[in-house]
Amino acid sequence: MGKELRLMKGNEAFAEAVIRAGADGYFGYPITPQSEVMEYLMAEKPYERTGMVVLQAESEIASINMLYGGAACGKKVLTSSSSPGISLMQEGISYLAGSELPCIIMDAMRGGPGLGTIQPGQADYFQLTKGGGHGDYRLIVIAPASVQEMYDFADIGFELAFKYRTPVIVLTDGAIGQMMEKVYIGNQKPRLTEEEIREKYPWATLGKTPDRERNIITSLDLDPYRQERHNLKLQKKFKEIEENEVRYEEINCEDADYVIVAYGTSARISQKAMDIGREKGHKIGLFRPITLWPFPKKEIMEMSKNVKGILTVEMSAGQMVEDVRLNSTEKTPVEHYGRMGGVIPTPNEIVDVIENLFVKG
Amino acid sequence: MAKVKGDIIVDIEKCKGCEVCIDACPTHTIEMSEKVNGKGYHFMQNVHDACTGCTNCAIVCPDGVITVYRIKV
Repeated sequence: MGKELRLMKGNEAFAEAVIRAGADGYFGYPITPQSEVMEYLMAEKPYERTGMVVLQAESEIASINMLYGGAACGKKVLTSSSSPGISLMQEGISYLAGSELPCIIMDAMRGGPGLGTIQPGQADYFQLTKGGGHGDYRLIVIAPASVQEMYDFADIGFELAFKYRTPVIVLTDGAIGQMMEKVYIGNQKPRLTEEEIREKYPWATLGKTPDRERNIITSLDLDPYRQERHNLKLQKKFKEIEENEVRYEEINCEDADYVIVAYGTSARISQKAMDIGREKGHKIGLFRPITLWPFPKKEIMEMSKNVKGILTVEMSAGQMVEDVRLNSTEKTPVEHYGRMGGVIPTPNEIVDVIENLFVKG
Repeated sequence: MAKVKGDIIVDIEKCKGCEVCIDACPTHTIEMSEKVNGKGYHFMQNVHDACTGCTNCAIVCPDGVITVYRIKV
């Protein structure tokens, strides 16, 4: 954690974080509620600070394909958008995953479906953790729950993306993007030079040198057997990610009778609900998955063995609840509570739901 | 004692429609607008004359959107 302390919006913290993580390029298209990312980058002029490119593309489809080009050169590139924009990007995301290219895509979810509202929602869980685009692929999905995490996850995101050569989604929503909190700012990391990229990422297409074969980056292979081998290689990589990169947070789960499972904004509200519930004498705990894929399966299973009831709180009709049900013991009831369309649940609502579902029986 | 009358000026484009100020206003002077700003948010506005200049709204506003003016009447 750095020493410099600032008061920032979540979107601004993310934008500052990518500059300091040594990103090479941002390609985006404005959409509420994440426009502050590009606004901040345009005002901050990282092209003067570090040489980072900031470009407004003509559409979301253009920006995701610019990412494809930038990432193929081994550059740290990113984009950000909101739900409808992410839907437009799905083809490109599938291509990036198929071609094993690292990048960060930030999604500030809003109430849907369709154009929906511009208020916060969490209904893109299925789209980003289960697929969204075509083909057998998975994306690393990390969900920050505070402005500090918006800052921290930019650097972690790039690390994971390049470690596994896969796109990383930072899944947030309008509430965290727009809220202002204090943020500890880290030091500036230098951008990699072309020589360093050549050395670190031998797959990067930075021009052929006499001592090696041509690097070709593509997701197309018309030979089905070779394509199957490529798929098996991808699956092996996803397995490795599932084993090594699970992140989660448990609060008061040790002695809890009832556990709330929630991520992002819902987790913050649930934390308050937990405090109110504990004051009333209900032993409530909070389990917050930080990586939504890889999902903390084993940890949910362990936790579910010792509790009387699990409630998932999401700003959706119930998406993560399916993963929680799949990965918890049969004897533990798993229920869902959610508001949709951009309405945020209140802590008291959640406590009432727990009382009605579990405590009163 | 002179009575104090207040008025608020709202920086419409900076408002994100979080509605925190609505609950903070003791005289229910503030409401959300029907119109939206450049980003698509319903912004807050002064709807009637009951403002006392207490500055509660300006204090709770997370984005410093509201400026409060007071006059003695």
